[in-house]
Amino acid sequence: MAELELLKKLSEARGISGREDEVREIILDEIRPLADKIEITPLGNIIALKKGKERAPKKLMISAHMDEAGLMVTHITDEGLLNFVPVGEIDRRVLPGKSVTVGENVRGVIGLKPIHLLKKDEMSKSIPLSKLYIDIGAASREEAEKAVKPGDEVTFDSVFDASGKAIKGRALGGRAGCAILIGMMRHGLKYDAVFAFTVQEETGLCGSETAAYGVHPAAAIVVDATAAADVPGVSRERQACRLGEGPVVPFMDKRTIYDRAYYDMAFRAAEKAGVKCQAKQDIAGGNDAGAIHVSREGVRTAAVSLPCRYLHSAVGVISREDFYAAIKLIEGLAEMIEEERSDRHTLC
Amino acid sequence: MNEKLRETVFRLCMADGTSGDETGARETAAREFAPFAETSSDTLGNLTAEIGDMGSKTHILVDAHLDQIGLIVTGIDKSGFINVDGCGGMDRRVLPGSAVTVYGKEKLYGVVCFMPPHFTGSKEDEVQEAGRMTVDIGCTCEEAKRLVKPGDRILFSTEPKALLGGRISAPALDNRSSVAALVRCVQILSGKRLSCHVTFLCSTREEVGGQGAVTGAYIANPTAAIAVDVGFASQPGVRPEQCGKLGGGPMIGFAPVLNRAMSEKLVSVAEKLGIPYSRDAMGGDTGTNSENIAASRAGVPTGLVSIPERNMHTPAEIVDLQDVENTAQLIAEYIAEAE
Repeated sequence: MAELELLKKLSEARGISGREDEVREIILDEIRPLADKIEITPLGNIIALKKGKERAPKKLMISAHMDEAGLMVTHITDEGLLNFVPVGEIDRRVLPGKSVTVGENVRGVIGLKPIHLLKKDEMSKSIPLSKLYIDIGAASREEAEKAVKPGDEVTFDSVFDASGKAIKGRALGGRAGCAILIGMMRHGLKYDAVFAFTVQEETGLCGSETAAYGVHPAAAIVVDATAAADVPGVSRERQACRLGEGPVVPFMDKRTIYDRAYYDMAFRAAEKAGVKCQAKQDIAGGNDAGAIHVSREGVRTAAVSLPCRYLHSAVGVISREDFYAAIKLIEGLAEMIEEERSDRHTLC
Repeated sequence: MNEKLRETVFRLCMADGTSGDETGARETAAREFAPFAETSSDTLGNLTAEIGDMGSKTHILVDAHLDQIGLIVTGIDKSGFINVDGCGGMDRRVLPGSAVTVYGKEKLYGVVCFMPPHFTGSKEDEVQEAGRMTVDIGCTCEEAKRLVKPGDRILFSTEPKALLGGRISAPALDNRSSVAALVRCVQILSGKRLSCHVTFLCSTREEVGGQGAVTGAYIANPTAAIAVDVGFASQPGVRPEQCGKLGGGPMIGFAPVLNRAMSEKLVSVAEKLGIPYSRDAMGGDTGTNSENIAASRAGVPTGLVSIPERNMHTPAEIVDLQDVENTAQLIAEYIAEAE
């Protein structure tokens, strides 16, 4: 349960790409008593060394990203309404009517023309981004300017619910990953490991790129969420992965072809730990592995993702069972990576 | 200054009351009226609160509908997703990816499903009808069937909030902001000697046809009526001649079905009070309970007062608290002056 409480705290924290401060503070508070060394990099990544019972034969970096996709204010209109752009990937179809928080703590909503005044063909059309705006209740530009400014971050108002088997919440992609890493640090490790909590994943992997350069690991495990399309209207073979079927291990996505031995190892780790595990049955998306596996001379990289429905929206859904299974799987995978006898890349 | 009023509006907005299932909202509203008036309810679930001289020949009915738009459960599919349809004029464009509360055997939290973008092909611009949408409560089919039944209602899980400058946002401001204006009106009139009989009617099912107002007006059998609802406030995409303005005061209706003398009287009361107001002229149907009430029994002279609202029928509805207060002041003064 401690992990779920932490996940709630992390999910409710506001932190679009480049503005991860609130999330970073929560993580630092959690890991200070757990880590043997903590460093914050110039771009804001947290690099934490956690010693295990034994020294690690190879340097392993386990990472998760702290940031979330959101919006940013670009302009204030004469009427006091706010124009915005997405930061990271947001599905524009989920935007109309949502409640948001702007800047420090200004509440707002994304407005839209009332249904009563629409032409018939407008009713069934999603609204283009250029027509959406945020209404903070300002009566004029002057009133709005006293409260917000261009460049202010915008996050969706959080709804977190873990009362059932599914967990619903905001920013689950990165934050569930962060909670898993902290969970591992709490449990204690067999071998030393470096935990990286990265910034700016949603906008182009700058955080992980620089973290990997600084840490210079020999191996990496990236922990994130991946889109589950097991919703009505999508045939089973196109669903990529399904909630409740265990953590997802990809062999390839849009950014990375994963280390084949580690891919196989992940399934063995799941079996050994007695948890479910599924292959990502689609080549889509990408994560911090895209930057990490090409760092310096190259890093052997695996990814373990949580299946998440409605990934690029205000509220995602993950499975509680998958979440706990991921912690066990990654702990096992980390040990197997360290204990791998023949490292084919060092043989040549 | 409007802090107490804001709390009243928020309490009313947090109550659940989808059309035909208004119990939660009715109980909440009844608690607000109780210190000031006798309340009762009827066959279709309307709430009435009466004040004034019960023997008076003048009997004014003040109506605000109690219900709100939402979704209704139509079935549960084999994977445990809940099939739904709109209950009232739901704007389907705000549904995908919305956090919702299912009022089943217990309160359940869910999300309105949508397909990832790369599955919609060229149809990304299309928003399917509410009747084809599903809600994800993260349950298996068996669990879902145990907890949720067809006919259960679903509302947005969006909490009321204060925006800048006395504006507030919440789902159900249509029409709980008007219910709050009625509560405020009773507060203002409390302790005053009235020479007329007043029935405040919080009517059910307006969003699906106004059946509550039909029977409520029949039961009350008033000599005059004022309907209170929300009206369009200026915002992008809405033409100035179609709307009032947030903070612009109550919109006093002028329409074929509305009694011209009552409309003008409301204007003169607003002038006398020195509150802002606008004349809201409509050529046809007002889209409110006015039509139902005016045609009750042998006919009832009816006026309409609307609170300007942005983003109507979405979880992002916005009103200005001062408009709610001024609406209450206007109606209270109209009643106080009635002989």
